Amino acid sequence: MATSAPTAGPEGGAGIPPLRRLGGAIRARMSNGDLIRWLGRVGAVVPLLMLGFVLVTLIVEAIPALKFNGLNFLTGTGWSFGAGYAASITSGGIVHQPGEVFGALPQIIGTLETSAIALIIAIPVSVGAALVIVERLPRRLASVVGGFLELLAGIPSVVIGLWGALTFGPFLAQHVTPWIASHAPDVPVLSFFRGNPGNGQGLLTSGLILAIMVIPIIAATSRDLIRGVPLLPREGAVALGLSDWECARRVTLPWVGAGIIGAAVLGLGRALGETIAVAMVCGVALGTIPSNLYQAMITVAANIVQNLDTAILSPLGVRTYAELALVLMVITLSANVGARLLVRRVSGVSLPVGRGL
Amino acid sequence: MFPLFGAWQTAYNTTVTTVTITTAGTGSGTGIADAGTGTTTIGASDAYLSSAIMSQYPGLENIPLTVAALMVNYNLPGVKTPLKLNGTVLAQIYTGKIKTWNDPAIAKLNPGVTLPSLKITTLHRADSSGSTFLFTSYLNAQDPSAWPATNVDTTITWPSAPAQDAETGSGGMVTGCQGIKGCIAYIGISYQAKTTAAGLGTASLANKAGKYTQPTAKTINAALASFSGSTPASGSQSLINTSAAKGYPIINYEYAVVKKTQPSAAVAAALKAFLKWTLTTGAGPTFLSAVGFEPLPANVKAIAENQIAAISG
Repeated sequence: MATSAPTAGPEGGAGIPPLRRLGGAIRARMSNGDLIRWLGRVGAVVPLLMLGFVLVTLIVEAIPALKFNGLNFLTGTGWSFGAGYAASITSGGIVHQPGEVFGALPQIIGTLETSAIALIIAIPVSVGAALVIVERLPRRLASVVGGFLELLAGIPSVVIGLWGALTFGPFLAQHVTPWIASHAPDVPVLSFFRGNPGNGQGLLTSGLILAIMVIPIIAATSRDLIRGVPLLPREGAVALGLSDWECARRVTLPWVGAGIIGAAVLGLGRALGETIAVAMVCGVALGTIPSNLYQAMITVAANIVQNLDTAILSPLGVRTYAELALVLMVITLSANVGARLLVRRVSGVSLPVGRGL
Repeated sequence: MFPLFGAWQTAYNTTVTTVTITTAGTGSGTGIADAGTGTTTIGASDAYLSSAIMSQYPGLENIPLTVAALMVNYNLPGVKTPLKLNGTVLAQIYTGKIKTWNDPAIAKLNPGVTLPSLKITTLHRADSSGSTFLFTSYLNAQDPSAWPATNVDTTITWPSAPAQDAETGSGGMVTGCQGIKGCIAYIGISYQAKTTAAGLGTASLANKAGKYTQPTAKTINAALASFSGSTPASGSQSLINTSAAKGYPIINYEYAVVKKTQPSAAVAAALKAFLKWTLTTGAGPTFLSAVGFEPLPANVKAIAENQIAAISG
C-alpha cells in the first residue's frame, strides 16, 4: 500500500507533494468503502479463477493423452514410455513411441491405500490426544503438548521423508515387519500382513509416514472442537456418575462427531496429495499393486515427481502426466466434496470455520 | 556428468573471467528440454537424442565430450573374486526369475566361486536416470527375448522382483547397496572410489564376444576402439555391448546438448570457446581421471570440433 509519508517530489505541483496527494486520494476512497469493496470482490473471485484455470489448463493439456490412453488409464497396470529410439508411430492422430502404454491403476490404488493406512492410524491417535489434552492434562502441560503437536505440523515433509527413508523404514524392516510378517494368521484380510517383509520401502512405511504428517492436522482440529463442547452437559454426565471414558464416549465425542469427520478429511486431503515424503519411502515401483503390506509401490503424486524428467522428452508422456495430475485432483476434490456432504447429512453444520480445504 | 561439469566450471571461470557459467544438477530429460527451449545454453546427457526428441525440439545437436562407463556392483562380503555376469542372467535377476546368489545360472558363469545362499535384492533408481537407460540398454542388447526394447528408458516399469529397492541418485545406490547384504545395483563409473570404499564388488560383464571384462581404462578404450571408427558426423551412437573381446560392454559418450543456432553471436562465441576448452584442457587427466571418464579418440574429437564449429549466433 502506498505510504502517506510527506516526501515532496521535485515536480510536486499545486503546493502539495504528489505522494501526499496519492495518499489523500487513497484515504478518500477507503473512507467511502470503495477500496474495501473492490478488495473483497477480487478476493472472492481469485480462488474461483485459480481453481478454474488449473482445471482448464490440465484438461486442455491432457486431451491427447485422454484420447490415447482411454479407459485403460484407469484399469491398466502397465506404465512404459515405449522404445525411445524406434521410429514414432501415429495412431488416431497422436504421435507416440512403439510400446508406449500408460495404465495408472496401481498408482491410484497406491494413493488410496497409503491414505487409508494413514487415516486408520491417525484418527484414533489424534482424537485420543485431543481428549487427553483438553480433559485430562493440567492446563500448563496441555499447552506444552499442544505446542509440540503444532511443531510436528510444521516439520517440512522432505525432512520427514528423509527420516523415513534413512531411519524409520530400515528400523521397521529390521525389527518390526519380519515379526509381523511371520506371525500374522493366514486368514483373509490378515494374510495381507504376511509374506516378504521387504526392505523398509513400501506401502506400510508410506502409510505410517503419512499418518505422522496427518496426526497434527486432525489432532489440532479435534482439540479445538472438543474445547468448544459446553461444560454443562459434561458436568451433568459427571454428576450422573459416568466415568471419564463414558463421558467422552457418550457426551463429548457425539457432540463433535461431524467435526471430527471434517478434520479427518482435512487429513485425507493432505495424505492423498503428499508428494515428496512418499516419493522417498514408497520404493517407486511403477506398475506394482502391493500383494502384501510391505511391498514397494508408488502413488500418483510420487510418480509425477520422480518420473517427470523422463516424461518431458516424450510428447505423449507430458500429456499423460497432465492427465495423472487431473486424476489426482479429481480424487482429492471428490474426497472433499463427499466428506462435506457427509458432514452436512450427519449434523447440518458445515466444516470447522477457517480450516476448510 | 554434473560433478564433471562443476569441476569444469570452476576451472574455466578462474581462467576466463569474462564468461560466467552456472551449473544445475537435473535429470537429463530436464537438461535436454531446457536446452531445447533455450532456458539453458548447454544440457548434458548420457544418451544421444532420439529422432523423436529431435522432432520435438528441432535444432538441437548432441556433441560427444567424454566417454563414461557403468558398473554393476553387489554386496557379497565373502566373495572376493569378481563375479561374472551376463545380460541374460542380469535380466533374470531383475525380473525375479533368479532369487538367490547360489542359483545354478550364476554358479554356471562362476565355476570355482563359493556363492552364498543369500537372497538377491535388486536396486534400481527411483529417479529418472541415464544410468537406468544404459543398464537396460545392455540387458536388451545382450538378450532381447529376456529384456524387450520397450523396457529401455531413463524410467521403466521394473518387473516385480521379490526383493527390490529404489534409490535416488548414484550416491543413494552406493549407500543403499552398502546397507543390504545380497544386493545388486548399477552405478556410474565416477562412483568407483565410493563403491570400493563401501566394500561393494564390481562384476565382470560379458560383452558381445562372450568375454568377461572389468571396467578399467584399458577395457573402456578397447570397447571404444571398436565403435569410434563408425561414429557418425551427428555424434549419435550407442556404445553398448562391444564385440571387442577385451572391451567393457557398458560405455557411452557423455553429450553436451546445445542449440545449433544461439540467440546472439556473443553467446555462440562464448559457448564455442567453452566447449572447445572441454575437449582440450578439460579432457586432461586432472578432470577425467577423477571421475573415471576417458577422453574421446582423435577422430571423434574431430567430429565434435566440427559440430562445435557449426554453432552460429
